[in-house]
This record gives sequence, structure tokens and C-alpha cells, in this order.
Amino acid sequence: MDTARARAVLGRTPGLEYREKLGRPAAFCSLSSKQRLCLAIFLERRPMSTPTITPRLLEPFRSAKRQLYAIGIVSALAIGSLIVWPRLSERLLSTDFLPHRYCYLSNPALVWTHVTADLLIGIAYFAISITMAYLVYQGRRDLPFRGLLTAFGLFIIACGATHLVEVVTIWVPVYVLSAAVKVFTAIVSLVTAVVLPFTVPQTLALVQQAKTSAQVTAELRASEERKDALLQEVHHRVKNNLAVICSLFYLQSTHTKDKETVQIFRDMERRVHSMALVHESLSESENVGRIDFAEYASDLVHDILSSHGGPNVQVQLKTKLERVIMSVDSAVLCGLILNELISNALKHAFPDGAGGQVRVTLHSGPEGKCRLCVEDSGVGIPAALDFEASKSMGMRLVRSLTRQIRGSFELLKVDRGTTACLHFTVDRHER
Amino acid sequence: MNADLISPEPRALIVEDEILIAEELSERLSRLGFAVIAAVDTGEEGIAIATRERPDLVLMDIRLKGEKDGIQAAKDIRQQVDVPIVYVTAYSDRRTVDRAKGTEYDGYLLKPFHRRELESTIEVAMKRHAVRTKEKETAGGGTAEGPTSPS
Repeated sequence: MDTARARAVLGRTPGLEYREKLGRPAAFCSLSSKQRLCLAIFLERRPMSTPTITPRLLEPFRSAKRQLYAIGIVSALAIGSLIVWPRLSERLLSTDFLPHRYCYLSNPALVWTHVTADLLIGIAYFAISITMAYLVYQGRRDLPFRGLLTAFGLFIIACGATHLVEVVTIWVPVYVLSAAVKVFTAIVSLVTAVVLPFTVPQTLALVQQAKTSAQVTAELRASEERKDALLQEVHHRVKNNLAVICSLFYLQSTHTKDKETVQIFRDMERRVHSMALVHESLSESENVGRIDFAEYASDLVHDILSSHGGPNVQVQLKTKLERVIMSVDSAVLCGLILNELISNALKHAFPDGAGGQVRVTLHSGPEGKCRLCVEDSGVGIPAALDFEASKSMGMRLVRSLTRQIRGSFELLKVDRGTTACLHFTVDRHER
Repeated sequence: MNADLISPEPRALIVEDEILIAEELSERLSRLGFAVIAAVDTGEEGIAIATRERPDLVLMDIRLKGEKDGIQAAKDIRQQVDVPIVYVTAYSDRRTVDRAKGTEYDGYLLKPFHRRELESTIEVAMKRHAVRTKEKETAGGGTAEGPTSPS
């Protein structure tokens, strides 16, 4: 409460005031139900649901489990064929041919150029396929065309393998292996080539979708900004009108010499003030229509003190306010009650310019039960005062408003001074 | 208020489009010992009078009738003459405060206001202006300006 104390000392100097306001987080405005409805209608117009993107051919291999199965079956087949045909491996690795370097007439320049180029191509292809594998793995939930990307990756690995085998065949003539790798590459390439055209419409749809979603976001932002501006405008108008009402009270009060009448206008002005102050908290609230009563009450307490204090009144004000979120309607009522209680304390508890202390506490209990107390260290209420029967405007207001918020009120004469407590419950839908 | 504020009678200009609020301000300023030279409701008139009459204080609403709003008017006035300007407005949203911060002014008072808020804001504004004038004099008529926000 350092700032609050600083403010109590300094009075409401403007610099302090707006700096404090700037310090608070910018108001976040959620969408109204009407806007949400409009958005829903808008989205209905352009379907946003992700189309099924895995091509039909790869449909059976969409789930990771099935992909595992497929790999297992292929490996089993390969191992099986090796067992069934014992000479397959021997044949595959047969070297009954001339190494490729003889074709190059063992020209070192030619041989090494081939070797270097093939090696580089092979390495590059493997590197690309590693990146693609990483991409597919990371984006396994959201990435479209996973099947196609996997096929593409295989295709690239196969291409790389053919180049690496080319390097080997320069010295070791494993042409059967080379042929096998090429056949594998051919199959994978063919599959990729066949699958690719089917994905074109979906790719285009995706691009369109991205564009639409950017558009929707922009429209959403614009509408939010419009709503923000509108809300500020409403707050401004309300505050301005309340300021005009205050001016009216003031101007009227300058036309009378009667102290009691002047006091009546002052009181009215202060009541309107306490209502206007809600809009200060409201325009900074994150939640439309809800405010933190503690924040509002803290502003209000200092506002009331600054409206009362003459230079001869040495009243210390202390606050201990717990966070309570409530609707604006309830906040206005509680604010008006708080205004009366504090004003009462300032007016009656310290006669003849005696100093003292006023403590405002807001306690938030379970199930929305709240207790708002104003304690003063003043002279205490007269023994004869009956709160229920009191005819003063302030007490009447407190009685009526307490009834409206369905709360209860108690006024206690304590050892030193008076304690006034308001008990009320904040409904669940208000919080 | 301080005695040096009252004598000789300082002159104030009110720029406010809500006539009743202007009347209240005028009434309160007179009680504070100001002579209110005019209360106008457009930025253009405000600029014309402020630059011609060089008042000791300008109370400036932000929303005004006419083309220019209070922030533009304040900017125009301060480009021509150095007078203390206090914004008196119901605007407290970030955008407006940011815009106002871009101009040189000496106080920001939110409507509706209390008598003491008005008094202390005006007092701070006048003091700031006095300090600035003194600094300028000691700096030999230098153009250095103090910070725009009250500290």
C-alpha cells in the first residue's frame, strides 16, 4: 500500500495519478457474445475444418502403428527371402564384374571427380532426409501431408544410396547391389510421383485457408479495437455527464449562504463522485462489467478524504483491502455505502479538529462472503443513536442500499470510537 | 493558496466545451484569486486568446468543439508562448494519456474533480512554470525545457 500512502500524503496530485494508471496492465477486452455469434456465422461461411490430407494411396498407413507394421512386414519379407534363398546375399554382393574405374581408364582426375561428386550428393541427400524426418517427427500432430513427406524422404534417401553405391562400384564391382538399390529408388520415386499430383488441390486449399485465417484475425482485431474505442467513449460520456451534474450542484450551492444547504450540495456532489469513480476502475478492468472492488474502494477512500479534509483535520487513513471481484452494479452500491460510512466518520468522529485514525478493511471469506468495515478512533456514537430509526439522509441511504445488496449492517460502539460493518455476499455469477 | 499566487491577480483562460463545467471552473478560479479572462469552447479560440493575452494559466479540456482538440491546441499554444497548461478532462484511457504526454503541459486533472484536487493541480502547475522560468533566466534564455510530467 506504499502508493496509497504516498497518495494520502501528497493528495491526488495529477502526476502520481496517471502514472499509477499507466502502471496497470492494459485492459484486455474479450469478445461479446454477439461478436462471437457473428464470428461463428462468418466462419460457417468459409469452412475451417482441416480437410483429410493424406492421399488415398497412403490411407492404410496413416497411423504410426500401421506404419510400424508395414516396416515390420517389409523387414520380415527381406529376412525371409534371405533365408529362403541362401545365395541371394552372395548374389547381391557378387563381384564377378570389372570395377567401374576401368571404364574411366583409371584416370585419377576422372575417378576422383566422380567419387567426390557422388559422395557430396549422397551426403547432401542424407542430410536433407534427416531434416525431413525431424520435421515429420516434430510436426507429427499438426503437419499435413505426413505420408507424402515420408515418401519424399525415402525417395531422397534412395537417391543418396544410389550415389554412394556408385562410389563403391568404382573399386568393388557390386553391380547387383547397385541394381537392387536403383530398383528400390525407382519404386519409391514412382510412388512419390503418383501421389504428388493428388495433393495439389489440398495444398491450394491449405494456402487459401491460411489466407482466410489471417483475414479473420485482422477483422477480429479491428472489431476489438472498435469495441475498445466505443467502450472508452461510453466511459468518457458517463464521466463527463456526472461531472456536469457535480458542476450543477456546485453552482447551485454558490447561490446560498445557508451552511446546512451548502453541506447538502457538497454531500450530493460527493455521492455522484463516488459513482463516477467506478468508471475509472471499470475502464481499466480486464473483465467487462466486473471490477476489483478493492481497487475502486482504495481510490474512493482517498477521494473522499481529499473532498473532506480541511487543513485543520488531521485524520490518518488506513486501508487493508482484499481483492473482491464484483459486478459494477454491486460495486456502485457498496461504494455509496462506503462513502456514507467514511463521510460520517470524518464528519462526526473527530469534533473540534481532533486528530485520529480511520481504518477501512475489506475481508473476503469463503463462498463470496465479504465484510466491509469502517473503524474510527473518534468520540464514538451517542448512546441514544438508533441506527434503524435514524432519520439522517446518510443512515437512510446505508439502510436502503444494504437492503438492495441483500446484506446486513451493524454499528458498534467500541472502546475507542465506532465500528461500522457491512456484510454481503457476492453471487457466484458475479465473481 | 500561496500569497505569491494571489498578488498580482493572475489571469486564467478556460477552454471547455461543457458550459456548466466552465462556469464551475470560472467560479472556483475566481475564489482562488484568479481573474478569468475568457471561457471558450473551441481549440482555435483558445489558441488565439492564449497567444494574444498570454494568461498565467490555461485550463484545457481535451474534447472541444471545432476542428482542433485540446491536445492539439495545447501543442500550438506552447509552441508560441510558455504558459502553464492544465488538462481538465474525463479521458483517462491510455491512448489519450499517451497523446497528452507527447505535449508539454503542467497538470492533468480528471473530471469530475474535487476542490482540493483542482487547487493542488493548479498550484503544482504554477510552481512548475515558475521553476522553469527561473531556470531559463539562469540559463541565459536557453531553450531547455523541464520534463513534461509533474514529478
